[in-house]
Amino acid sequence: MNKRTRTLAIALVSTLSLGLAACSTGSSGGKTGGPERKNPAAANAGAVIGGTPQKGGTLTVLSNQDFTHLDPARNWVMPDMDFGTRLLYRTLVTYKAAPGADGSELVPDLAEDLGTPSNGAKTWTFRLKAGLKYEDGTPVTAQDIKHNVERSFSPDLPGGPDYAARYLAGAEGYQGPARGKHLDSVKTPDARTIVFELHKPFAEFPFAATLPTFAPVPPAQDKGAQYDNRPFSSGPYKIESYARDKQMVLVRNTHWDPASDSVRKAYPDRIVVTMGLKGNQIDDRLVASAAGDSSAVAWSTLRPESISKVLTKADVKARLLAESSSCTEMLQMHTGRAPFDDLKVRQAVQWALDREAIVTAAGGPAVTDAAGAAMPGSLFTGGKQPDTLGIPLAGDPEKARQLLKEAGKADGLSTSLTVNINDKAIGEAVQQSLGKAGIKVTIETVDPSAFYDTIGDTKNRTDLVYTGWCPDFPSGTTFLPFVFDGRFVKEKGNSGNHSLFKDDATMKRMDEIAAMTDGDAANKAWQELDGQILAKAPVAPGAMKRRALLVGTNVAGAYGHTSWSGQLDYATVGLKDPSKSAN
Amino acid sequence: MTTTTTPPPPVHAGGGAWRAVRAEIRRRTSLKVSLAVVALFVLMTAAAPLIASLGGWGPEEFDKSAVDPYLGGLPIGPLGGVSAEHWLGVEPITGRDLFARVVHGAQVSLLIAFAATAIVVLAGVTAGIAAGYFGGRTDTALSRLMDLTMSFPSLIFMIAMMSVARDADRTLLMILVIGLFGWPGVARVVRGQTLSLKHREYVDAARVGGSGPWRILARDILPGVAGPVIAYTTLMVPGMIATEAALSYLGVGVRPPTPSWGQMIAESVAYYDTDPMYFLVPSVCLFLTVLAFTLLGDALRDVLDPRGSRT
Amino acid sequence: MILYLGRRLLGVLGVLLAIAAVTFTIFYVLPSDPAAAACGKACSDERLEAIRANMGLDAPLWRQFADFVTGIFTGRTMGTGQYALHCDFPCLGYSYENSEGVWDLLVDRLPVSASLAAGAAVLWLALGLTAGVTAALRKDTLTDRALMVGAVAAASLPVYFTSVLLIYGLIRLTGLLPYPQYVPLTSDPLSWASNLLLPWLALAVLYAAMYARQSRGAMIESMAEPYIRTARAKGLPRRTVVVKHGLRAGMTPILTIFGMDLGGLLAGAVITESLFGLPGVGRLFYGALTTGDQPVILGVTLLAAGFIVVANLAVDLLYAVVDPRVRY
Repeated sequence: MNKRTRTLAIALVSTLSLGLAACSTGSSGGKTGGPERKNPAAANAGAVIGGTPQKGGTLTVLSNQDFTHLDPARNWVMPDMDFGTRLLYRTLVTYKAAPGADGSELVPDLAEDLGTPSNGAKTWTFRLKAGLKYEDGTPVTAQDIKHNVERSFSPDLPGGPDYAARYLAGAEGYQGPARGKHLDSVKTPDARTIVFELHKPFAEFPFAATLPTFAPVPPAQDKGAQYDNRPFSSGPYKIESYARDKQMVLVRNTHWDPASDSVRKAYPDRIVVTMGLKGNQIDDRLVASAAGDSSAVAWSTLRPESISKVLTKADVKARLLAESSSCTEMLQMHTGRAPFDDLKVRQAVQWALDREAIVTAAGGPAVTDAAGAAMPGSLFTGGKQPDTLGIPLAGDPEKARQLLKEAGKADGLSTSLTVNINDKAIGEAVQQSLGKAGIKVTIETVDPSAFYDTIGDTKNRTDLVYTGWCPDFPSGTTFLPFVFDGRFVKEKGNSGNHSLFKDDATMKRMDEIAAMTDGDAANKAWQELDGQILAKAPVAPGAMKRRALLVGTNVAGAYGHTSWSGQLDYATVGLKDPSKSAN
Repeated sequence: MTTTTTPPPPVHAGGGAWRAVRAEIRRRTSLKVSLAVVALFVLMTAAAPLIASLGGWGPEEFDKSAVDPYLGGLPIGPLGGVSAEHWLGVEPITGRDLFARVVHGAQVSLLIAFAATAIVVLAGVTAGIAAGYFGGRTDTALSRLMDLTMSFPSLIFMIAMMSVARDADRTLLMILVIGLFGWPGVARVVRGQTLSLKHREYVDAARVGGSGPWRILARDILPGVAGPVIAYTTLMVPGMIATEAALSYLGVGVRPPTPSWGQMIAESVAYYDTDPMYFLVPSVCLFLTVLAFTLLGDALRDVLDPRGSRT
Repeated sequence: MILYLGRRLLGVLGVLLAIAAVTFTIFYVLPSDPAAAACGKACSDERLEAIRANMGLDAPLWRQFADFVTGIFTGRTMGTGQYALHCDFPCLGYSYENSEGVWDLLVDRLPVSASLAAGAAVLWLALGLTAGVTAALRKDTLTDRALMVGAVAAASLPVYFTSVLLIYGLIRLTGLLPYPQYVPLTSDPLSWASNLLLPWLALAVLYAAMYARQSRGAMIESMAEPYIRTARAKGLPRRTVVVKHGLRAGMTPILTIFGMDLGGLLAGAVITESLFGLPGVGRLFYGALTTGDQPVILGVTLLAAGFIVVANLAVDLLYAVVDPRVRY
């Protein structure tokens, strides 16, 4: 490979493409890949697309998949949680319907306020609003919420959030209400009061109360596992029909009282979710936004191959949402065994990793940000991740080699990496960049279903794992302890702490911060701890994806909600001109 | 095993058959072209690293400068980044050289196809001859097994088996899995042919002359079934290539970053309008190879197996 | 005849049982644990155990298989107390993913795959046989050559390529057809056809080419038979000779292939359905595979095998109708 010809060729290609760009109208600047260019999609961050919607019409949702679970006891997938809690069932507390950082603000939903703590935040009392009704007009009661909390313990209904199991007193061994047993730590003195008794203080309980676990399910409607196919509505819409993997039609729930709800606007009359479409066909339909598709929004994120079709057209680009998913993806190293039990080797990986290549593999800067810390930007003051380690974005293979040499691995080493099949391109980018520093990586791709299971087997898994963590609510409590507390490591079914990081100083500090009552001081402490952990190099930060969603030309009130990984806020989305939508 | 390129001269099908094949090749231009295409791709398979190195890029080597991250990693320049550097352009996102990948992909795809074919032929001929020659219980058992294997929804099963085995050598596994479902076809052809040869006079003569069954099988039956088997085999290769492509397309094929045509097509389908070159390169290669083997197989069948012993 | 049919049906059951056993074994050695997959992000050991027991995964393999097979005929009850699910004959279990009955899922998806297969079959038979017979009757003319070159080329085209070409030409460029989205035949026949036309064409191109080649060969062979000469000598019109005598005899091998192809396709054209995003059995299978939904995988495999063996049986029986020489 002759270096000079290569440079020449690149120069030639650049000139050619410059000429090309100059010829094509509407193209935004050269395509030479200069060092500093503005993020083309971030312009819409924090803004509402399409202004305020009009009431009525049919909103179409184009999806490439089916919902994982809509049963509130089982719903723990970010985009699905937004859909369920914004449209079908209300929770005790929820997030404000607002773009940007305001979206992490809590507002009462079923409850009159954000809950009253007592007994040193070990007891939480909520009082329900008066006159709340289900889709059949029957009243929503505190007992129904208790019932759903109990349901979340049932082995028949797996998959849901486990905060109830983690905090409620006397919950060990509880197997749900199916055999007539009930939880004593959830009390319902009357139909409008619910009291939770916890076994340890939990100052952030109102955040947990936004989870679908704390939505009501009337026992009379409970059909066990099949409730998933027809959740009973307490929200603004009810299910008219739901054909799995094909189509779901939502119509207005006439018993929902807008006066009792400060969050949901419920603009469209109907919402039709068309499922199982091809991802790139969804993109093409929304780019064109022809008659029927102008009132449609995308469920699935923009495919990488469609990005150029969107960014080169200003009018289409204006319809792209790209809110951060607030999930940090990291290259996690097995700190429990050689060669990654050696700090120098781990630092070599941090230095070798080419985050630029990872960002490109994840769709480019328009839809992905390089990560500079472990916690996502939303948990840092100012909403941005600091660059803790000061490593160049493209990595520094020379420095990495140096570190390997210091670790006594001058000849490099061989290891293997497990990635989700959907992150194959990222895996290849990791492989390529570590390869430059002398670390030979073999890639194992695993289907999404088996991914967590595979990497959770700490004995048989690969040394390297590329995976992320999303905070369940905007607090360091739901991030660092999950990812770096060595006491949570399990031999099988391990989750979160995939570096198997076990550091006494870190664990001690985590306990101290968890006990803090001053929220601001705790946040600051988490942020500092984040940097201290990275210096010990259990992980190499990779990237944070944005949720890139296209909406049609007739769609209004659309923004990505920061608390649900950037998913479109279904509480406020609607149409500019309802008469233009299909029925 | 390369039955397709250097077949052993059969005794009874006669040297005449091969003369006929050669005559046929001289007669038909399409045959010459397909032979050339087959030869080209076989050469590519044999000398992939050598040929690919002509371009100066490895199949797994990234070229960040060739793609524009701000457009989702689309190649910079016309025709998917075709340049003096990258003869066939580059892969979007990674900037890997398409020429290097398609050449190495040929190696993987054709190796799998040929090896699977070899297994199918070996197993099929053995089972077919055994069933046809020995008859009786052997025949019943083998025929039942053939019926059973043919009742398996093969593609569905191949996908399932490939997805189950995670740590195994994917290439080897793919060869075995594809081979597993292919042999009954050959076995049936061979069985029929063996049945008809079994009572021919020269076979009877050999038997009377005191030859043992193994000798008869090797000297008299095997050459007799060679013609139809060769024709059938050549026609089977395209199917094998397509199956490899299908499995890789569905994401249960080779392990990344290894290229294969199926894997390349699978990843490039979505780019058909934004980067047509990326999609065309592996598709055209697959098309040409399948076409060439089909034409070649047709001609061989016309000459070697004119009555068409296929079912 | 009845005896023959009975014996064959018994054989069908045996084959299905064998296939079920093999599939069961393959997925039992699967390294992934459906219970862990169902449990989600954070899962305590005792909860995992409870879920595993609930799914019946704690029993040994032979026990699970026996339960599955007897369950097909007698029905099964799964789950605990109030949440127990009961499924009646034919019970293929419940999907791990969405708790729907596997049988119901198959019944729900089959019309999509059947529509796809049936429409494509009509197209490819019409195109393929016409081309094949035409070429055979004009053997060694320019028409014959052109048709056969076209057929070889079309048969060599990867289905991905044809599909993409059709999508680009008929949707993106001209807007003649909508993006395929399954509409049931019963709700709107016109929209059903216009949505499926594209996948039909994509499949038909491939198969028509193969059928053209096959039927040409068969036709040439049968037209050379002595009885055709006799029929001609009798002075029968050419049309009658070709259709009633030539085609009918030449149909036998075509019928075999057609039966196998249709049987295979009914159980889902995995690639075509995934390329066009059609919610048929093939996509159900592929989805189940990526989510490790074993009951669904087993169900689809059995359905596919069932179609293949039934198609084979049907073909054998049809022989008697088409070819008068065959008797049972």
